[in-house]
Amino acid sequence: MAKQVMHRTAGDNEYLHRDFHGALSAGIEYLHEHYGDEAVRDYLRQFARSFYAPLTEALKQRGLVALGEHFRRVYDLEGGAVRLALSEDELRIEVDACPAVTHMRNEGYPVARLFRETTETVNRALCHGTAFSAELLDYDDRTGRCVQRFYRSRS
Amino acid sequence: MISCTEFIPAYSELFKFLEARGGRRAVEGFWEYLSNRFLGNLRSAVEERGLRGCWDYWSHTLNEEAADFTMELDEDAGQFRIIMHHCPSMGRLLELEHVEPYGDYCRHCDVLYRRVLEPLGYQYTIDLLQCGEARCAITVTSRPGAEGRRGQG
Repeated sequence: MAKQVMHRTAGDNEYLHRDFHGALSAGIEYLHEHYGDEAVRDYLRQFARSFYAPLTEALKQRGLVALGEHFRRVYDLEGGAVRLALSEDELRIEVDACPAVTHMRNEGYPVARLFRETTETVNRALCHGTAFSAELLDYDDRTGRCVQRFYRSRS
Repeated sequence: MISCTEFIPAYSELFKFLEARGGRRAVEGFWEYLSNRFLGNLRSAVEERGLRGCWDYWSHTLNEEAADFTMELDEDAGQFRIIMHHCPSMGRLLELEHVEPYGDYCRHCDVLYRRVLEPLGYQYTIDLLQCGEARCAITVTSRPGAEGRRGQG
């Protein structure tokens, strides 16, 4: 049989490997199993404060509009029905089904018991050191359907 | 929600977190866990189709990751190769000015895939000498009798 060769450059494809949601979920579950639930939150806080530092800075400088732009971009990319309601003092995000959870359920990847922390803990960490706070008003572990709220907690 | 496009920095940070908690052994323990739990699709592809299973698996993942690569399958010679000209994962980590990648980030590709392929009778080698420039090469070679293990799980 003839040798087969495939050559691709980065520009040939869109960067969107949804199976990474399954790998993140496996990481969350591993931490939970081996180090406990608080380790999951510690890790997610550490990640969020490091990786999202520019977003947190934008939140300080520009307010909730910066978070609105970020989440609009993420959900546009990942797909799924999402409604964002933005005012100067509040950003409310209603997600009918989390695209990450939907992908994992469709592909048969286990969804970590604490996967909701990738929303709840990360959102809180995003607000660290700003005038804003975050809360997860509702979350369905089966679908990832949720209501997220960011709000001004001090002036 | 953490987008799948933000996974690689989260992955790198997880390695750092684990090393701080339990040293390098904790990181390797996670890689072994991930290989066991998450690479069932590679394992089943190779069990069913031999080296062509590698071709099928990485055709899917590397295209979705928008990698810059050359992939070769020579079933007559019993060899599958990936020459990664620019790894999308390490490449992204190197582009981030405010995040330092985990020092031994690229070695997860050694542990994860070796753990799947060697028990199936394949020789797995990875050249990480240029991984700091987001370049590497993977070679999977059939050992005598390896193709005969297909389907034996």
